[in-house]
Amino acid sequence: MKAQGRYMPVLVWGTALLILWEAVSWYLLEWADVPMAQSKLPYFHKVLAAFGTYGGVLAAESWITFTNAASGFLLGAAAGALLAVLMSASKWMERLAFPYAVASQMIPILGLAPIVFGIVRNEEAARTLIAAYITFFPVALNMLRGLKSVPPAALELMRACAAGPWSVYWKLRFPASLPGLFSGLKIAAPLAVTGAILVELMGASRGIGVIMLRNLYYGPSHVYMFWSTVIAGALLGIASYAIVSGLERIAAPWQPEFRNKGGGR
Amino acid sequence: MEAAAHFIPEIQLDHVTMEYESDAARVTALQDVSLTIAKGEFVSLLGPSGCGKTTLLRIMADLAEPTGGDLKVAGGSAREARLAQKYGIVFQSPVLYDWRRVKSNITLPLELKGVPRAERNKRAMELLELVGLAKFANHYPWQLSGGMQQRVAIARALAMEPEILLMDEPFSALDEFNRERLNEELLSIWSKVQNTVVFVTHSIPEAIFLSDRVFVLSPHPGRLSAVVDIPLPRPRTKEMRNSEEFFRLIARIRDSFEGGV
Repeated sequence: MKAQGRYMPVLVWGTALLILWEAVSWYLLEWADVPMAQSKLPYFHKVLAAFGTYGGVLAAESWITFTNAASGFLLGAAAGALLAVLMSASKWMERLAFPYAVASQMIPILGLAPIVFGIVRNEEAARTLIAAYITFFPVALNMLRGLKSVPPAALELMRACAAGPWSVYWKLRFPASLPGLFSGLKIAAPLAVTGAILVELMGASRGIGVIMLRNLYYGPSHVYMFWSTVIAGALLGIASYAIVSGLERIAAPWQPEFRNKGGGR
Repeated sequence: MEAAAHFIPEIQLDHVTMEYESDAARVTALQDVSLTIAKGEFVSLLGPSGCGKTTLLRIMADLAEPTGGDLKVAGGSAREARLAQKYGIVFQSPVLYDWRRVKSNITLPLELKGVPRAERNKRAMELLELVGLAKFANHYPWQLSGGMQQRVAIARALAMEPEILLMDEPFSALDEFNRERLNEELLSIWSKVQNTVVFVTHSIPEAIFLSDRVFVLSPHPGRLSAVVDIPLPRPRTKEMRNSEEFFRLIARIRDSFEGGV
């Protein structure tokens, strides 16, 4: 596929959306006389200007959020993958752990974050733990599915070759579970960022969530900066997703969705 | 027969029975199957679906355990033969691992055996040459046609130079033209390796064309209803498919079905 053909629709949609945004913003402010119109939908070009002016600050705070989210993400992914392997290896383990894994997801993060913060008393650790907590469940669930998706004939082939249990994992179950693992990771990556931001909103000294909250409190005069922080947060989520997707192409390039038509039969 | 002169038994089944429970009913998949397959012999297990021919192959491969009777493979148990990696298996579907290129699919059994990398690659290239796919060594399985994939599966099964090659309807998913071509290729490969082959099929011409002997199985319950010697000379040629002898054998096997079912 040509790059032009792929990016054209995105470009058209993006442009149309921006024009609509500016139009609605102008309408609210100049025509409808809505109170605090710019807080409802600020001019996009002014948000962009604030984004440019304070780019350094936004980048520095985003980086702190991102690194905490990333270390939590890695921790959670490792825990989730390990749990998936244990659950796939033993029915007993699955029966024991699975209900608790599900129950853990019923606890609202909004309530859990201050509890965790109260226990560890360290904002970086709290961010990391919450990001890990959010990551582990989708990773465990999707990877378990991947581990169990191995066709019986593929296992029989291993058996016929007299393969030991370790070989069955390394050469069959684990590679077969990579697509599942990556769908879990792709769900979890933006959520880990959101989780880290949430912890920052509860009281932290650094991070994108902190300046988001501050500019919200300062009111209408800081509305452009507030929106900039929201965009920065969104970009963090998109970046985390893009990184995981890129890794997937390197780690598991053989999946159907990556197959180009040229190589077909 | 000529084969009888140096008949060394490779696989011996003595009253093998397979029963299993399904929905509170007791199903007899195989009943009292006794047969002996000689070393270096090419035999087919032929029968309609439900006759237990695949179950019989799985028992020989130690992928299923019979509920009754005895089974000896290469002088020991089927389990010993499997653990000694005496088997090469080709399934109905190619069962290639998507994440491995063609070459490393073939080297998989060798990896499991601990063969050094250089030797593995050398062996894989020889095997790809043998099945006529040398050009596709670095392709992924999904880049090949169904027939080519099944040839890769055959190459993989031959990787460990198995004493016994077990094939479970390997060409049943292919069209008639491809199937006949692969039958010929299989025989030319076999003429070079000369191991024992047990070939499961539901196609009468396929069984006749390939085999030294055909074991005919009938269903409900699965049992051995006839053993037919195929006296066609080797190497077999496609012209033999149109010979009078060939048609006579088809008729004979068909009769044995009608007599046995």
